[in-house]
Amino acid sequence: MRLVRRPRRAAPETIVALIDVVFFLLVFFLLIGRMDATAPFEVLPPLSDGGTDLPGGGATVAVAADGTLALDGAAMPEAAVLDALRTRLRDAPDLRVRVNAHGAAPLHRFLPLAAEIEALGAREVVLVVTPGVP
Amino acid sequence: MQITRRQRQGAVISLVAMVDVLMIMLVFFMVTSTFLDLDMIPMAERAPDAPAPDVVQGAAVAAPGSPVMVRLGADGRSYLRGRALDADALTAALRAPDLRGAEVLVLPSGQADVQALVRVIDAITRAGPSAMRILRVEVRP
Repeated sequence: MRLVRRPRRAAPETIVALIDVVFFLLVFFLLIGRMDATAPFEVLPPLSDGGTDLPGGGATVAVAADGTLALDGAAMPEAAVLDALRTRLRDAPDLRVRVNAHGAAPLHRFLPLAAEIEALGAREVVLVVTPGVP
Repeated sequence: MQITRRQRQGAVISLVAMVDVLMIMLVFFMVTSTFLDLDMIPMAERAPDAPAPDVVQGAAVAAPGSPVMVRLGADGRSYLRGRALDADALTAALRAPDLRGAEVLVLPSGQADVQALVRVIDAITRAGPSAMRILRVEVRP
């Protein structure tokens, strides 16, 4: 009589634990990720240790170091930015306008822009900063 | 003889397909997430019924008390009463008894950058002024 050893089957790994981990990670990234339109150019906000927490939402005007402008991730000239903001502020007067200016952007570009946005009727204009000691 | 119908088993759903979808979503969110810790400094806040400021005319600065002027040079240095001061010295100067709590007007050079302005704003805020305004000189043809 010939004895044949049956091939041992690998222990079935429970796939439920894997799903648990993947689901946990998924929810984690869903919660902490912020769907923000990034500017089409590099923007390094100025460092400040006196800022407050930046809530999400609102319109974001990005200002590059050379003064180029973008609204919610799309580069456009200043007149187009102001026109788009005027339209949006008409529909939603409480819209928060976030100015995300590069730390090296010149003030002769930034200050008139902030004043123009305020003159459009924006109730809240904020400057985005990076927490830290300048 | 009694014939019993076997209970029908529910359709078996493969978990592998679900894991595939979850993995794709997970990788998507991992790649698209940006870990930015951002703060904000309010530039303009007004009551809902307040009229929009007239940018063409320029805001006339009412001066209750005696406001103190801080000038921000094109090189990013701040000047108080003609003396160049760094951020800490500016805070200390504004905490002096004669200037404590005064309204501070900041007159920045257009050639200075945003970082220099934020540095001055931080230094002034630490001193605790009653109000702070940023002035802007408009050039008219």
